[in-house]
Amino acid sequence: MTDGKQVRNSAYKHLVLIIVGTLLWWADGLAQAQHNFPGLVDAHIHYSHDAWERTPPQKAISLLRKAGLRKAFVSSSSDQGTQKLYALDPALIVPVLRPYRKRGELGSWMYDETVPGMLKSLLASNYYAGIGEFHAFGDDIDLPVLRAVIDLALEYRIFLHAHSDSDAVENIFSYNPKAVVLWAHSGFENSSEVDRMLSLYPNLWADLAFRFEHERDGRVTSEWRRLFVKYPDRFLLGTDTYTPERWYYVIENADSARVWLQDLPSEVAHNIAWKNAERLMESLGK
Amino acid sequence: MARIRHIVFGVMLIASLSVISEDSVVFTETELGFIQSHGPWPPVFEGDSSNRLSGDPRAIVYGARLFSDLRLSRDGSISCATCHVPENNFVDGLSLGKGIEDGVRNTTTTSNLAFNRWFGWGGDADSLWMQNIRPIVSRAEMDGVQAVRNLHESDLEFGGWFMELQGEAVQQSSDEEMLVLVGKAMAAFLETQITGVTSFDRFRIALLSGDQRQMQRYPISAQRGLKLFSGRGQCSVCHFGPNFTNGEFAETGISYFTSKDVDNGRFSGIENVKTSPLSLLGKYNDKPQSGNADKTRFLRKRHDSFGQFRIPGLRSVAETGPYMHNGSLETLHDVVGHYSHIDLDRLHTDGQSILKPLNLNTTEIDDLVSFLKSLSDDN
Repeated sequence: MTDGKQVRNSAYKHLVLIIVGTLLWWADGLAQAQHNFPGLVDAHIHYSHDAWERTPPQKAISLLRKAGLRKAFVSSSSDQGTQKLYALDPALIVPVLRPYRKRGELGSWMYDETVPGMLKSLLASNYYAGIGEFHAFGDDIDLPVLRAVIDLALEYRIFLHAHSDSDAVENIFSYNPKAVVLWAHSGFENSSEVDRMLSLYPNLWADLAFRFEHERDGRVTSEWRRLFVKYPDRFLLGTDTYTPERWYYVIENADSARVWLQDLPSEVAHNIAWKNAERLMESLGK
Repeated sequence: MARIRHIVFGVMLIASLSVISEDSVVFTETELGFIQSHGPWPPVFEGDSSNRLSGDPRAIVYGARLFSDLRLSRDGSISCATCHVPENNFVDGLSLGKGIEDGVRNTTTTSNLAFNRWFGWGGDADSLWMQNIRPIVSRAEMDGVQAVRNLHESDLEFGGWFMELQGEAVQQSSDEEMLVLVGKAMAAFLETQITGVTSFDRFRIALLSGDQRQMQRYPISAQRGLKLFSGRGQCSVCHFGPNFTNGEFAETGISYFTSKDVDNGRFSGIENVKTSPLSLLGKYNDKPQSGNADKTRFLRKRHDSFGQFRIPGLRSVAETGPYMHNGSLETLHDVVGHYSHIDLDRLHTDGQSILKPLNLNTTEIDDLVSFLKSLSDDN
């Protein structure tokens, strides 16, 4: 054997050892995380028409199961997608009723006066845990369609999954303090604003979909740690599959959450992982 | 400083206002600011500090030979130039690249790579030399690690270049060391592939200096397109600077499904560059003390990295279709049409607020295309 080949083989051995070691370390960490958080609840999944065209219901359910979810809050434009998944796996799927008939209505639905009628008809015939995710900001809440939607949520004792700024959420509670709101993306507000809102409104819950400020490289940042500990029973996980391709992100997001959850006190972590979602449902008698 | 900038803009504005006629377009201060940023061309390239062969004339010759040699692939059927065709602006003209196997991404031009910050549609590489190694190692593209070794062991000329630049024979180098040298030599060659001055560049200089005669040589349609590009369209926000790219990544409403699952673009790109021993964080960076690895050190995956792709430079864009990461848009009219009617539901509402449907009419689409065509070297 030449010197060159010896050097090469030695380098190979080192490389193989490093790769194997890294893989074992990574697999051990992930296995530990999965052991600690075997079943998560993802509170922010959409399954609209373009999603079911590319990812049929059976495949979609298998992706959710592969992500290790015990429950998935699913809404869709139209509602057909949600019903397809619920029919296939009612133990996994928590149906949420979206007020959109198809994609492209998120900026116009609040002016469509046929929406409350459509929702009423679906609520009368199907089971839902909430209405949403809908997009409404500021004074949109004063519009008749929004008022009707809030009334329906109270009538059916279900939550409102609101993609809204603080003003809109405050307007909802101002209209009816008994409303229960799951605040999509925690409003994309900063931690101090989320703190203010949670302290003011006991019926407000917040999902962490599409947020990344709360963790860095698997460690929870100090300001969000304070928030999670201060409100241990108010935060939920979420992915937000706003394009059909993002169904393939549910697994990544769940794995990533399992890592940063480990950085929190165990009880708080389990609350965020799944217990808070169960509590939200229980609070509404679901 | 801000005052000086205002004075400069004021002069530019007066210069442009002074030539209002049916043959010219008036630009706002904001538009003029963007237009100014699109030059001068070419910018000064100071070399790649991570690559000791950057600018080395021997490496440039050696790299050029490597680039065109079929013996870099496992079965001797493919060279870099097979896909990056020099006579075709260094692209293959196909929607999806084709190596030993069918690819899942569009082949991008290798022109103007010297000015890139990240490489590949997903930014899997943080240096040009790292990027050059990827297709050689990829089983689907060239699968050529052993082939590269064979080439240097069997061809005295290549073996000699290697010996001269590496200081030892290829037989004494590990595969990784061998590939790094080959990647760096090809990078030295590719850094020299800079596109020429265009009619847009001449217009830009004329506009900034108030040379009305020269300005009027630039087609009025291209001028209107430039105004849209730098104004209402907000294209210049991402397609910024002399090479018409801010060097980063964006989700632009293009599907990223593949025939099997999805191509998640930047998300995997970040993971790959952070974990590769060939990144600037590794031992092959020739000048780590310069801080050239900071961009990689502080890189982290975000939710919106999933499905983002690199914002390409636009010089010679008229000659490098089809377009987008998956080659799904055949012509520049298709690209402009896509942005004109972009589906906001495909973009996260708190994400790419820059992108909004422009609802351009036919003339406006033609104007934008006319402007984009003016980014080609007309010599």
